[in-house]
Amino acid sequence: MAALKTAQSSARQLLQPEVLAGLKNLELVARSVVEGFIIGLHRSPHFGFSQEFAEYRMYEEGDDPRFIDWNVYARTGRTYIKRFLGDTNSHLMILLDSSASMGFGGPPVSKLQYAKFLAASLAYLASRQHDAVGCIVFDEAIRDFRPPSSRAGKLHGVMHSIDGATPGTGTQFERPFEKFREQVPRRGLVAVISDFYCDADALLEGVRPLAWQGQDVVLFHLLDREEMDPSFDRNVLLEDVETGEAVEVAPDFMAEEYPRRIREHVQSIATAASGSGADHVLVATDDPLDQALRNYLLFRERRQ
Amino acid sequence: MGLLAPLFLAATLAIALPIWLHRLQTQSSDRKPFSSAMLLETTEQRVHVQKKLKYLLLLALRIAVFVLAALAFAKPFIERPATEIAASGAGTHLIVVDTSTSMARSGVFSQAQNRARQAIDDAPAGAGIQTIAADSTMRLLRPLSADKGSQRAAIADLEPGSQRLDYGRLMSEIERYAQSLAAPVTVNLISDFQASGMPAQFADVVPNGVARLNALAVGSGEPVNWGVVLVRQSAEGVDVLVRNQGLPDRTTDVEVRVNDQLIGTRTASGQGEYVLSFPGAEWLEGDNRVEVTLIGDDDLAADNRWFSIVRNEPPSPVPLLSADPGGLPVTYLSAALGAATEAGFSVQPFAAHEFDPRILTRYRWLIVDDIGAISSALEPVITEFVTNGGSLLAFSGERTLGLETLPVSGLALQPADLLGGGDFLRIGQLDRQHPVLSATQGWHRVKVLRNVPIEPDADMEPLMRLDNGQPLIVEQPLGAGRILITLSAIDNQWNDLPVHPVFVGFVLEAAGYLSGRTDRRNVYTTGDTLPLTLTGTTAGQVVDPDGETVLSLADTAREQLIRLEKAGIYEVYTPDGETLVAANVDPRESELTRISQSVLDRWQDATYSNVEPVTDGSGSLVPEPIELWPWVLLLLAVFVIAESALGNVHIAMRVRSS
Repeated sequence: MAALKTAQSSARQLLQPEVLAGLKNLELVARSVVEGFIIGLHRSPHFGFSQEFAEYRMYEEGDDPRFIDWNVYARTGRTYIKRFLGDTNSHLMILLDSSASMGFGGPPVSKLQYAKFLAASLAYLASRQHDAVGCIVFDEAIRDFRPPSSRAGKLHGVMHSIDGATPGTGTQFERPFEKFREQVPRRGLVAVISDFYCDADALLEGVRPLAWQGQDVVLFHLLDREEMDPSFDRNVLLEDVETGEAVEVAPDFMAEEYPRRIREHVQSIATAASGSGADHVLVATDDPLDQALRNYLLFRERRQ
Repeated sequence: MGLLAPLFLAATLAIALPIWLHRLQTQSSDRKPFSSAMLLETTEQRVHVQKKLKYLLLLALRIAVFVLAALAFAKPFIERPATEIAASGAGTHLIVVDTSTSMARSGVFSQAQNRARQAIDDAPAGAGIQTIAADSTMRLLRPLSADKGSQRAAIADLEPGSQRLDYGRLMSEIERYAQSLAAPVTVNLISDFQASGMPAQFADVVPNGVARLNALAVGSGEPVNWGVVLVRQSAEGVDVLVRNQGLPDRTTDVEVRVNDQLIGTRTASGQGEYVLSFPGAEWLEGDNRVEVTLIGDDDLAADNRWFSIVRNEPPSPVPLLSADPGGLPVTYLSAALGAATEAGFSVQPFAAHEFDPRILTRYRWLIVDDIGAISSALEPVITEFVTNGGSLLAFSGERTLGLETLPVSGLALQPADLLGGGDFLRIGQLDRQHPVLSATQGWHRVKVLRNVPIEPDADMEPLMRLDNGQPLIVEQPLGAGRILITLSAIDNQWNDLPVHPVFVGFVLEAAGYLSGRTDRRNVYTTGDTLPLTLTGTTAGQVVDPDGETVLSLADTAREQLIRLEKAGIYEVYTPDGETLVAANVDPRESELTRISQSVLDRWQDATYSNVEPVTDGSGSLVPEPIELWPWVLLLLAVFVIAESALGNVHIAMRVRSS
């Protein structure tokens, strides 16, 4: 027990963003996060980490060939995939916002860095569950697109796309959602990682079609602690990193009025998400990643 | 306060620069990136409205730097409020205090100071007041101002001196000074008004430009005073001329010392002037100090001592060449030269044809009673003697007639014009500026029967001409020396010059001129100037009667005019040796008789009528402004340093906060 607790505390330490920031390899980050997360969890068939064989299903294009039961193939000439307990036979599409506003934050990590950690961790976690993983990196335009796939090499590609994300320009949700609808018709899981500095109604208009499509959408609302609880001791001229607009604000406003506004905005996004059947998870960039992963697994559990 | 260059104040507009820069800074404040301005709202409270003391202080310092720089160039000045003189109406009041020797009488000068203070107090408010001390010079005691306290203080520091006041000279200087003063000019003259101070012409005491003269007389009663008028060397010793002004029964003892040795004491009594003789003086070679002291009570003690210098030098030998050493010309010339009272000449007659020219080296000059007597053999020797710096005094007689040229000089002669029948010529023209003739009088009495005419020479201007235009006395430079030739003989068949007193004076003056002896005056009046000429690289040094050197070390290398301020004996050290000079109070200061009241009244009335119309207040003198720009520059430097220091503090704070 003591050893388990030690392992758990070490794993939890690995989930701290500032610790992860010291890891240069995103895959390593993702593996560290997920493995650490797993160590902290009990085995649960409901979470799909069990390796107990559950059933066979027909091989479909995009499935990981590693799970083909070759004995069955030899005997029957047909390809079947082993399904284990917890396998949902689903896919996870990660929509990663790489707009300029995502570059704000830190130290130790900016929102985009944290988003990349989160996206990579989700991708790795999903791949462990034999889910196909894809990603769309966007700002005002689609910067990168990886269709969902459970093949081993495909995860590496997704990691590469996530790792290559850099703060871009403005934020435009309509295009990635449209791209997703076009390219990923199958029903699956959609994780949108963004700071959602947008109009809630406009977001609702973008998410609703996905819900109608049967997608299960979770919005990871990522904010830096300085955005949620800013502290300035004197008037300051704040410049919007996306639009260049500069606004002079007073310390009193930033200490009292602005936190209320940001909470209201977060609430409006949550409300919009709920109104479209999506989940909303507020994540601060100084929060350990296990909480975000836990929320993902709960979300996934509910969607099964 | 005023500004000498007010246009520079326009530079204060530059303070807009630091104000603008501070607004920029405050408006921009800290600029930081933020994720989104979507939820931000501009605050209504602007930074530049907030009163942060540190930025305001820096802004104030920068504004002050610009203002002080502009002010420094504008040259601010202030004037002493107490010295401001009214522009018109009050005019100028001169308070002139007589500080001559006669004012040293007991109680007189303190009375004069009180009168002067009263005159200052009586001056109208706003009038310019100038206190002046007057004796042989007019001295301004304080700058012209309306500050009565300052002028009163100047009066308190005054003392009577040892010099004479001439009212004519004083009024002339006041007239010049009044031209620069604000009209009307009132002169308050506080004096004992000695009659001896009045000039020969009354008009000389009426100055132009003065609206009013207030003659404030001090001293009263009949003055009683003994004074020394003159001291001279006599054959037996010393003669002293004394003067008694006052009661006839008063006496005084007169004591004479020569080189600090008492040679006698006499008692003087009676009114008027008379001579006391003091025989038995033993003269040392060189300068001898003679000191005369009057012992007794009188009103003025400052004139009870008299100083003189008697120079005792052996007669200087001079050869006299004559065809007849026993003749009358030699007698006349010897007698004339023997009449010198000081440092005379000893005539050594020689027969011209027997004269050994080798002895000429012993002499500086020689006399020839008939230049025609110089033989052809002697002529070149004498010519060489003169050319090398010697001098020759020559007369022309019988032996000159018939020559074509004058020996030595080479002047061409004309045929003689012998007048007959008793006709004679008078002196028609003479050069009064020449040193030989300037001190001689009586030439108009001289008659000339015969003269030696010479050819006219356009390059030579005779010292004296007869009334027929012919030269009588000529001077001719020859090399380093000179020749002074009288173109007539010392012979009563030629002229009657030797029987006139002017002959002795002429011969003595010529002897002094040709022998190189300068005017060695050794007795002066206080206030006179003693010239020190430069010899080589130094002029000399003078030690006053108190034993103090008069000149600084630098002054000893320049020609100087030493003003003899004190009565007593001065020691003069020059490269030529040491001499003594005596200075005495002007004897006229001993004459204490006051100007009559009628003359004083007339003097004042004449000044009243001499008022010139007052046109405007121009010419008023205002005190020199006290310029403040050096202090402003100093303050500017302090502010610049403070601004730099405070600016560095802000920079350091920003570096740390960033």
